[in-house]
Amino acid sequence: MYDPLQAALKVGSSGLEAQSKRLRVVSENLANAQSTGRTPGADPYTRKTISFESEVDEAMGVSTVKVAGIERHRAPFRVEHNPGHPAADAKGFVKLPNVDVMVEVADMREANRSYEANLQVIKQAREMIAMTIDLLRSS
Amino acid sequence: MIDAINAAASVVDTPLSSGVNSIASRRVSPGAAAEAPAADFGAMLSQLASGAAGAVKTAEAMSLAGVRGQATVQQVVEAVMSAEQSLQGAIAVRDKVVGAYLEISRMQI
Repeated sequence: MYDPLQAALKVGSSGLEAQSKRLRVVSENLANAQSTGRTPGADPYTRKTISFESEVDEAMGVSTVKVAGIERHRAPFRVEHNPGHPAADAKGFVKLPNVDVMVEVADMREANRSYEANLQVIKQAREMIAMTIDLLRSS
Repeated sequence: MIDAINAAASVVDTPLSSGVNSIASRRVSPGAAAEAPAADFGAMLSQLASGAAGAVKTAEAMSLAGVRGQATVQQVVEAVMSAEQSLQGAIAVRDKVVGAYLEISRMQI
């Protein structure tokens, strides 16, 4: 039998890890929002998406979260008329990444909130453990 | 009527007595379990101390890995937190045990 409070700490920590990976993906998308190809007609940076799934921790028998995979977003690229660009095709169109900065910022905010929530769980579990240990001292 | 009351009383009575029995048996088992592994006081204290020291060592190794960039901030914080926790637990138990020991030594004979 495992300490449920320790299990809560473990689950919270898996949440923190998942959300930090999510923020990493968002940062990649934001940083590459203007990255084009270098040869005529080349594809630009493709937006990455992250998905999560639950995983049962065998030792403790609790469901932790893990990153299921990082995939490429399938939305079409934006196109801009810019004949002087090295990536412009025969008609002068340049393909730009399918990254919407507003969506990325919203995603970043959500990752932040989720991280905060998991952090709060860890804080609470720690406090409960400390309170229980304090029972030994108070007399 | 009296039969009914008796039946009711026996129904009420059985869970109570079985409950008391189960509590009693539960009370007996941890004492027996606690006595078995650490028979003497010094061995028990050293067990506690070595457990806490091991956790602190892990935390130190993790902190160093963090400085070298081989561990995430989260991993370092978790290791240090768990070391702190087991140290606090060990200290609390030690204080309690030493207190009990002193109490016995102060006893008037």
